Amino acid sequence: MKKRKRHPLMVIWVAFMVVFMAELLVYTWCRVQYVRTGYEITEATEEQQRLMELHRKLQVEEARLRSPERIMRIARQRGLVMPDSKQVVVIP
Amino acid sequence: MRTRSKKKSNPLKWIRFRIIMVGTVLGVCFALMVGRAFQLQVLEGKQLQSKAAVQYEKAFYDRSKRGTIYDRNYAELAVSIDVASICAYPGRICSPEQTASALARALDLEQESLLEKLSSGKRFVWIKRHADPTEVSPVRELEVDGIDFVTESRRFYPLKSLAAQVIGFCGTDGRGLEGLEFYYDSFLKGRESSRTVLRDALGRGFTGKGPSPEDKPGHNLILTIDKNIQYIAEQALSEGAREFWAKSGMALVIVPRTGAILAMAHVPRFNPNAFGQYEPWLWRNRAITDSFEPGSTFKIFLGAAALESGLCEPNSEFYCENGAYRIGKNVVHDVRPYAALSFQDILKYSSNIGAAKVGEKVGPAYLYHKLKGFGLGDRLGIDCPGETRGILLPVGGWSEIDAGAICFGQGVSVSALQLAAAVSALANDGLLMKPYLVQGMTDVHGRVIKSFQPTALRQVISSENARRLTRMMERTVEKGGTGVRAALRGYKVAGKTGTAQKADPGGGGYAADKYIASFVGFVPADNPEIVVLVVIDEPQKHHYGGVVAAPVFRRIVRETLRYLKVPPETDGRAGDALRVSCEAPTMG
Repeated sequence: MKKRKRHPLMVIWVAFMVVFMAELLVYTWCRVQYVRTGYEITEATEEQQRLMELHRKLQVEEARLRSPERIMRIARQRGLVMPDSKQVVVIP
Repeated sequence: MRTRSKKKSNPLKWIRFRIIMVGTVLGVCFALMVGRAFQLQVLEGKQLQSKAAVQYEKAFYDRSKRGTIYDRNYAELAVSIDVASICAYPGRICSPEQTASALARALDLEQESLLEKLSSGKRFVWIKRHADPTEVSPVRELEVDGIDFVTESRRFYPLKSLAAQVIGFCGTDGRGLEGLEFYYDSFLKGRESSRTVLRDALGRGFTGKGPSPEDKPGHNLILTIDKNIQYIAEQALSEGAREFWAKSGMALVIVPRTGAILAMAHVPRFNPNAFGQYEPWLWRNRAITDSFEPGSTFKIFLGAAALESGLCEPNSEFYCENGAYRIGKNVVHDVRPYAALSFQDILKYSSNIGAAKVGEKVGPAYLYHKLKGFGLGDRLGIDCPGETRGILLPVGGWSEIDAGAICFGQGVSVSALQLAAAVSALANDGLLMKPYLVQGMTDVHGRVIKSFQPTALRQVISSENARRLTRMMERTVEKGGTGVRAALRGYKVAGKTGTAQKADPGGGGYAADKYIASFVGFVPADNPEIVVLVVIDEPQKHHYGGVVAAPVFRRIVRETLRYLKVPPETDGRAGDALRVSCEAPTMG
């Protein structure tokens, strides 16, 4: 059987096409990853903003709960009074 | 037959021809593509890029968050939070009548004004800015096309009316309009920034470039105000003003060694979260912006000038004319007639005639010089807007009665801040400190950007004379003095009462039934921790400072000293105090 001889130019061409297609696929994959990561960053940023805003609102709520007016009102309801000077014991 | 035979005869030639034809066509196509690509990428590239950017890029303009205002213990006094504002695009609304009706029901607004907005033909209108979450939800449920929600930053004051006149407030656009919010607006407000967001085919943003609004927030302010002492002062002042049916009142608590203001209370109060519901005169920090005739509290400074001049000693005697003393065409009266009083008793019993006699001995020029030294008639330069100078006429313009009346605090006017700061100088061994409200600024991460240190203005009187005057002021709250109701068990109090007639707004002279009652003092007298001033305007049932203002002073001092853990002096022991209740349950 006669062995068929390959043309060297064809080999180079095929190799070039393979490299080109591979580069194309890698590039496409990179672009897809870029877009996907972009969405993930956007989501994470939004989540961070949401949590920061929640934190800020909780701080406000804490400040409101710690207001002297509210604490004094609760203290009075529970029968607490300011100590008289006779009730103060100073331990040096 | 001939052609076929020709093709058959030369097939190789025919194939070559076809290949050349195909190659030519492909070559022309390729050349066209390259040409078009050159046109799109190079010749029209910039123009097309900007066209495309409009479709996939969206620019956002944000104002960063306003900085937080804290008290001296980092408790939040003013914060910014995100809230939704409701807006509309009238062009996209199909039925303005129905939409206006639905919005009016959901937001409790007037339907006519809403309809007017929705039919205005404008591209964009606000329906309600800074809406409550309870208002936003029902509007969202309406799902009306053309109604949108914009997230905006809103200033919120969690402690409501506490220190409202000091802090001030912001308008809807986030700009400071009053108080420290106004004075420090350029530091508090965040810088405006823009950022570009890339959008996909569905209009969703998926990445951004440029600064985020969190990148340039405003600075935070750390005040010298203590929210607990502020509350103590406001409560005591409110009860005092209510008890005597007073028009208004002010109370200040200052640390004499530094000039730091721990509390600056006003009544009536207002809620800065809804400032529009209150009369504008309530917004003002009147302790700084308004001046009043101080009355007998001014005798303290006469006493300082007298001691410093070396012409008077605490035991120097003055004849007090048995209650009536003519100065030019006017007659000065005392509440009780006195024959002769020592200088220290003039202060203790608050004799106007005695004060006028001391003033005559000291001389107007020296008295004026010392009053200016205490900062009276000048701005102290506090970091707050609208500070008044008060009124202290140049000594060349003093008439005979002016020179007498100024000695007991009439014919001169001072702000509450000036009065408290001047008494602080006495409590600080004669050294006048600049009063201040802000001790520092921090960035969003809590790093200190700027800190304000106590500033000494000048030595007004000698340390020795300051202590001698303190001893004289202590006698005011002893038995028989005008300020006995300011006395506090366990602590030595040095102070002075004041009762001043108010000028008649209808004409010259003084109104017969309008007074300002005041008390100013410091405690513990030997080592002052705080200076407290109480001013009550137009009390109705009584008008003497010793009756109206002194009990308020005592309550503020008693609760503040406990809060600051200052041990009672009479124990003769110093150091940190551990408080133990032994009878009733207590709160610290």
